[in-house]
Amino acid sequence: MSLDVQTRQADNGVTVVAPTGRLDVAGAPTLKDAISETVKNGHPKVVIDLEGVSFVDSTGLGSVIAALKQIRSSAGDLRLAAPNQQVRVVLELTTLDRVFPYFATVEEALTGF
Amino acid sequence: MGSPPESFEFHATLSHLDQGLETLHESVERLRESTGRGQDDRNLMRFEIALAEIGANVLTHGRPAGTDHPVEYTLRHDHGSAVAAFVDRGPPAHNSLSRGMPDAFSESGRGLPMARSLLDELGYERDGEVNKWRLVKRL
Repeated sequence: MSLDVQTRQADNGVTVVAPTGRLDVAGAPTLKDAISETVKNGHPKVVIDLEGVSFVDSTGLGSVIAALKQIRSSAGDLRLAAPNQQVRVVLELTTLDRVFPYFATVEEALTGF
Repeated sequence: MGSPPESFEFHATLSHLDQGLETLHESVERLRESTGRGQDDRNLMRFEIALAEIGANVLTHGRPAGTDHPVEYTLRHDHGSAVAAFVDRGPPAHNSLSRGMPDAFSESGRGLPMARSLLDELGYERDGEVNKWRLVKRL
């Protein structure tokens, strides 16, 4: 199952990056490419919509951390939305839920961003 | 009447990263069906996370460049536990086993610490030219 990534612009100018599939060692480079493209285009406020992500592993998580660093170095910020239970387990296990406060829905993540 | 869940056994020979990971997840899905567990079963989910981490390591480092040695994989349901085993021909992995969880902004190095904390047992043995991994999680 390869990772597919869709990118769209929300009404408030925030970029919503929506990966679908497994965000793992095989899929992580696709997300990294999409984030690089987004930052290059000058949209440093990004929500990663995780609703379509069925499974994340440590390399997938690493690609999200890389995204955060890349976006913050461009004076932007990153929010995560709609992680499933497995993604939440991994975020909590690695204590990255403290680095990435996540939102239940994309709409909530976009509010006030 | 089908086989009782205790008899579940899955075996595969893994040769490629993408395909290999797909096979690992498929094997857990079959175990889930065999034991009548739901997608939200916490212990099986934790086992699957650990399995994918060790599996990704083995499929990445366990097949030395220029060789085509596949990785042998088995998954069993044994007296209420999920028991997985990998055999690969990569370099010895002793040095990476004791690594702790890296700092929050590190982009790598979490796989083995995650697997250790999720499993009841993570066994590793260097046997001649092969690495043998054993993963156990009570379900």
